Amino acid sequence: MLVYSQKSFLIVDDFSDFRSSVRSMLRELGVRDVDTADCGEQALRMCAQKRYDFILHDFHLGDGKKNGQQTLEDLMVDKLISHECVFIMVTAESSQAVVLSALEHEPDAYLTKPFNRIGLAQRLEKLVQRKTLLKPILQALDRGKPAEVLTACENLCRQDQRFAPLCLRYRANALRDLNRYEDLERFLKAILSSRATPWAYAALGALLFKRGQIGQAQGIYEQALKAFPLMPGLYDGLADVLTATGETKRAQSVLEEAVRLSPLAVRRQMLLGKLALGNEDFDGASRAYRQAVSQGQHSRFKDPESNLGLAQALISKNGGGGMDARTRVEINSALSEVAKEYTDDQGLQVRARLMKATSLIKAGDPETAAKLTEQAMARIEGMDQFFSAEAALLVATQLQQLGQDAASNGILKNCVEVYGDDPAVMKNIATLTDDPTILGGGNEAVDLNRQGVRSYQAGNLGGALDLFRRALVLQPKNISIALNTTQALLRLAGDTPTAAVLEECRACLSRVAGIPESDARYERYRKLHIRAFGG
Amino acid sequence: MSEDKQGLDFSTVIASTVHDMKNSLAMLMQTHSQWLARLPEAQRSGSELGVMEHEFAHLNGMLVQLLGLYKLGVNQLPMCPGYHELDDFIEAQLAAHQDVLSHRDLLASYRIDTVNPLGFFDRELIGSVVSNILNNAIRYAGHALLITVSEEDDQLLLSVNDDGPGYPLQMLERQSDYVQGINPSSGSTGLGLYFAARIAALHERDGLQGRIEIGNGGPLGGGVFRLYLP
Repeated sequence: MLVYSQKSFLIVDDFSDFRSSVRSMLRELGVRDVDTADCGEQALRMCAQKRYDFILHDFHLGDGKKNGQQTLEDLMVDKLISHECVFIMVTAESSQAVVLSALEHEPDAYLTKPFNRIGLAQRLEKLVQRKTLLKPILQALDRGKPAEVLTACENLCRQDQRFAPLCLRYRANALRDLNRYEDLERFLKAILSSRATPWAYAALGALLFKRGQIGQAQGIYEQALKAFPLMPGLYDGLADVLTATGETKRAQSVLEEAVRLSPLAVRRQMLLGKLALGNEDFDGASRAYRQAVSQGQHSRFKDPESNLGLAQALISKNGGGGMDARTRVEINSALSEVAKEYTDDQGLQVRARLMKATSLIKAGDPETAAKLTEQAMARIEGMDQFFSAEAALLVATQLQQLGQDAASNGILKNCVEVYGDDPAVMKNIATLTDDPTILGGGNEAVDLNRQGVRSYQAGNLGGALDLFRRALVLQPKNISIALNTTQALLRLAGDTPTAAVLEECRACLSRVAGIPESDARYERYRKLHIRAFGG
Repeated sequence: MSEDKQGLDFSTVIASTVHDMKNSLAMLMQTHSQWLARLPEAQRSGSELGVMEHEFAHLNGMLVQLLGLYKLGVNQLPMCPGYHELDDFIEAQLAAHQDVLSHRDLLASYRIDTVNPLGFFDRELIGSVVSNILNNAIRYAGHALLITVSEEDDQLLLSVNDDGPGYPLQMLERQSDYVQGINPSSGSTGLGLYFAARIAALHERDGLQGRIEIGNGGPLGGGVFRLYLP
């Protein structure tokens, strides 16, 4: 029997009877340090204060509350528990919980209610044994060193090859984190050819998708769903693939299937809302966004885009006609939440106001709508943050609908300057305007930038810098050109850039300081920023 | 009879009621054991207690099985296989039944004769099958139970043995009927075999499906339940 007297336990359950029952079982096992919580939020706060060795968490803590899987995700992502902590998911009925965790963060064990002291003791003892066996791997995970995880796995497998299957997932995740994609692909394919598991399918699908092998990724997901048709996460992957290939109708129905299997998923509902909105299924879009908004209240994945999406879907649903009182209340509350909770986000504030104005026109109050639109446009003038390309297009569309063509064109012109080197963005802009001065506005700079990239890749750094500089004069707010110029400058300057070089870098970066954090290039911007401005 | 389509879908009603029943039973069992723990040692034994605990476990097993069968029927029984330590798995099953075993004064043991300490299966599903079979074996066993795990033709073979009178001959002869769900009305044992066979068959490798088998004899001379997992 293990000695538990020095170990700390946390019991999370909404039934006080159950908490006291488990507490007394633990006391009988010699445990002294037992804390309890009645919801996931409280558990998170407690874990932020104290390091627990064991957590027994009930899966279903009531409707509208975080479930055990969500708490576990938060604990892992926010690094509130060590990988050495034993996390046991307590379930009334295990199947649902297993399905939800199968693809990402898995608890160490499930314990189905009812259980007795002997059953609990047996699980604890065995789990401690396993954690001890895997200790070097878990410690490497805590340090965030994937290379050390791999070494630890190799050592364990060398010690006893029979335990190799316990390392599979750790190894796959480490290879992914090390960007060793070819090794990872080989590794996952070997796993699937011997013993197929849902997580291995999902990992391979995601890898192929990330590397642009869309067709193959689709094949993997379809094969996976034949074997495991009840795993919602696999539907998510397939929907991503279908969205990328433009099959948005099919993507929507695939996600609907996933939502049917597992409705409690904020990101999934939000994505479904977006797809449905794009497919002009306004009923479906409102349903999904409504779920995303309400579930988001308790989730780390809360996202104001869902509120804006919900308002958009409800407005579009009511086509030409007026709006009933209930719909207006729903739109108002969705939008006021954005206005109140994201006061520092200029872009969101503008978008919430424009959305409100659009809804007011539908509702028959053009005066207030006009005032709100004025306000929003004044805010756009003062913005130093860039809209993401997607948001810019939405705002431009909305301004057009509100009869503000000049302002709409202004947004589009700005969007061409900032994102004009991205053909996908240009294609979308072309659906909103035929104006050649807007559409062609960035051509020359984009062309110079393209030549610059070619020179840079060919090793002609001086020539590249010259081309980038010329492009930048034409479009100083283009993110790609600004980053390319900075990178070329720093590369040419070597380890000790002169003050003049640093000055030029800073000027480049300052003009694109509005880059949204959601932009794929944000990380690159940040790194260059550190080099130009110091840490 | 009216053809009112507004009527309740009875299987869904049963499923959701069973779900609540299961929660309620769990609370009952948990409270019962807490209450027992407060009784003086002398009162914490007796054959009534054994009966109660066995029937608790039996009820719980039936409810789990009923939910499982419902989900199988509507193609909603999720399957998520993985590698599990065999000794841990068997120990957990026996621990869950420990109270009943000790009150019935049954000696339960297990033996694992596999090269590999890990098996590949859905722990929850196979767990519910083994739990039901154990309940059944406990009902008929005289003094002892034995779980063995071995390998046969590259498959994992899990068997539950008891020293009771064994399965009735008629049942052995017609076991394929039970497995196929023909005449499942013959009590919980028959339904249990059907459930076990369906769960076993969900485990598939290279076209080979898992299966079950019942017989008499074995190391303890009583009933033997065998579960083959590819």
